[in-house]
Amino acid sequence: MSEDERYRASTQFRLWSFTLYALHAQRTQTNLNAAARVRAAVRRVREVRRADTPDGGNGNVPSMAPEAETDCLTVEEEKKLIAFYCRQALDLGDFLGLGNEVKATAVQYIKRFYVTNSVMTYSPADILKTALFFATKTENHYFRLTKFAEKLPNTKAEDILALEFLLTQGLRFTFDVRHPYRALEGAVMELLAIANHDVPLLPGVEGAYPPKPHNMQNRVFAVHSNARQYLKISALLTDVYFHFTPSQIMMASLLIADSSLTEWFISSKFPSTAEAEEVKLKILATITSCADMLREVNPIRSKEEIDLERSQMKPLGKKLNKCRNPEKMDLVALQKSKREGDGGVDEKVIKKRKMEKEKFAKEGEDLFGPGLKGS
Amino acid sequence: MNSLAMSRLNINSKHGEDPSNDICPVCKSNRYLNPSLQFLINPECYHKMCSTCVDRIFTSGPAACPVPHCGKTLRKKGFHKAFFESLSIEREVDIRRKVASVFNRRQEEFESLRLFNDYLEDVENLVFDLVEGRGKVRQAAEKKLEQYRLGNMKEIEENERTEKEEAEMEKLRETNQKEAARRRRLANQQEELEEKAVVAKAARDTLEQLANDEGHAEEITKRAERIILKGAGPRRRQFEKPVEANGSADGSLTIRGLKKKEAPTKDMPYDPFGGLNVAPTKYVLQKDYESQWLAGVKKNENNHLTGGYSLPEYYGRAMFEAFSGLSVFIEDEKEADPKQSPSAAVATEAAVLAVGVMMEIDDVF
Repeated sequence: MSEDERYRASTQFRLWSFTLYALHAQRTQTNLNAAARVRAAVRRVREVRRADTPDGGNGNVPSMAPEAETDCLTVEEEKKLIAFYCRQALDLGDFLGLGNEVKATAVQYIKRFYVTNSVMTYSPADILKTALFFATKTENHYFRLTKFAEKLPNTKAEDILALEFLLTQGLRFTFDVRHPYRALEGAVMELLAIANHDVPLLPGVEGAYPPKPHNMQNRVFAVHSNARQYLKISALLTDVYFHFTPSQIMMASLLIADSSLTEWFISSKFPSTAEAEEVKLKILATITSCADMLREVNPIRSKEEIDLERSQMKPLGKKLNKCRNPEKMDLVALQKSKREGDGGVDEKVIKKRKMEKEKFAKEGEDLFGPGLKGS
Repeated sequence: MNSLAMSRLNINSKHGEDPSNDICPVCKSNRYLNPSLQFLINPECYHKMCSTCVDRIFTSGPAACPVPHCGKTLRKKGFHKAFFESLSIEREVDIRRKVASVFNRRQEEFESLRLFNDYLEDVENLVFDLVEGRGKVRQAAEKKLEQYRLGNMKEIEENERTEKEEAEMEKLRETNQKEAARRRRLANQQEELEEKAVVAKAARDTLEQLANDEGHAEEITKRAERIILKGAGPRRRQFEKPVEANGSADGSLTIRGLKKKEAPTKDMPYDPFGGLNVAPTKYVLQKDYESQWLAGVKKNENNHLTGGYSLPEYYGRAMFEAFSGLSVFIEDEKEADPKQSPSAAVATEAAVLAVGVMMEIDDVF
């Protein structure tokens, strides 16, 4: 069973890898569904309100003025919003002092969640807190819930927990996210070993050592930190996790950092047969397209860029506020009512059982007649 | 004379013996004259003769059988006392013993009971040929036996060994059981004695108390009963413990007994991957790697081991992840997967619907 086959067994490949086309189609579908639901919900709310007003809903009430269809977000706008909140999640993770893997996992959770859910239905600002907290659990980085909530503004522990099941359902209960970080360490270790110790390149292949690149060790050191930057920021904020495997993402980050070294590294891993040559070329093409995708987000941003993003986000945020699903605004209350609904049933059952028990006890007494104490 | 002969025959028949049993066919010496007469046979020809004749003829080395028309060369070593009165049975038993030592296959070696039974039948046919066959039939059977013996020397020896082991194991188990039973009996006796002593002591105490104390008689007797009962609990428990230990010792023995049933194929070492080959294909895992993060760990040599971490484990994982999925092309493989992505020919709307159906998730709220 080769390394590749073992990757194919992962949920990341089975459930969370898409072609470019399929991911776009899925997002479009999600957006359409959500928009339809928002409109239906808005209509329902309006009807309820109209029934409540005493004058029979003749349109005199000011809040009823925009009768027109709600203006919903487009797929692109949603994507921008999600990207923005992913960055927010990274910043929040930094603020909370969370590890790199936790932040990365949280961001991937957010991205995965919003493949099948829309920001119009569930607010990304809430989801990102839950995702971060949930990632601390899946990445084995213990963080007490109350402390976590305390550190965030206007957040109670219930707010975080209320969305947890929703999030896990959105993730289709697959919590394993395969990151390229350890892969990068592995590649760097291998490169250094090749540079300094002439280790065998492939199992079962002896001799025929290709000439090493010039000044290899120093180049590897330089590549390492540069590639890490791309993996820490760009890989998380783009869609590469959906379209490429961690190994390919890692190679792409190496390619950005030092293309000739990476190309040498990859070709050293394929013996010079026609078949292997073909696979090698395909890998190089895949990695190049991954690198192009990574380059879309620069890991280091200037202040102007940040300000520009903020100014772009403002109108989007306003638009989002207008088209949010009114029935899903208060998720904590929804969850509470749901739980209490369940609790109500429980209480009924308890009451019934108690009555049965009493009845049974009474009958038990009757069976042998009344007690003899009185007589 | 006639009547004498008759009476002798009667006596003989009373003893259930053939008259020829009393006379050595070689030297004609008689049991009547020599009460310590002992007959020996040699499994080469099964001709009977007395021990004196054996000593006389064969002490100086191998010699021909003195019975007329036999002429087989016999050795003194081969002579033994006949176990069965009938020499034909003696001979058959000897043959069977010989065959069984060669054809000693066990049922576990056969794929099915049917095959094992077929084998037993073949062996039985061979035995019949050896016992009852004449001339060529018998020679052929003997040849077969010899051939089989030479051809399967190793298996025969192995089975012999397992049989021996089994017998030893059985013996050991028996002695263990006997020992356990003896210990149990002893413990029982001890307990009985102790109980008796306690009861006696309690009775004595009660009497003394009744004599000396001013308390209520009934109360004192009740207290004495309580003391007896209290003592019985721990004693019983003490007694139960060794029995339990014996039981477990027995249990482990029977398990070891099972092990002798090992299949003829050799047991392979345990493979956690169940035969999957997980050897790396893209790299050769080294014993040690340089890494800037691990410098600190390596300096304090074994500190990380306390937490159950191991550097080779990390190396293996990091190297695996570096190459795991390198040649997995999602764009191609997911395209081929009809569930995930429809072909480009299908209209976008339909595609959207198809994917939508697949990925639609129930609303929790």
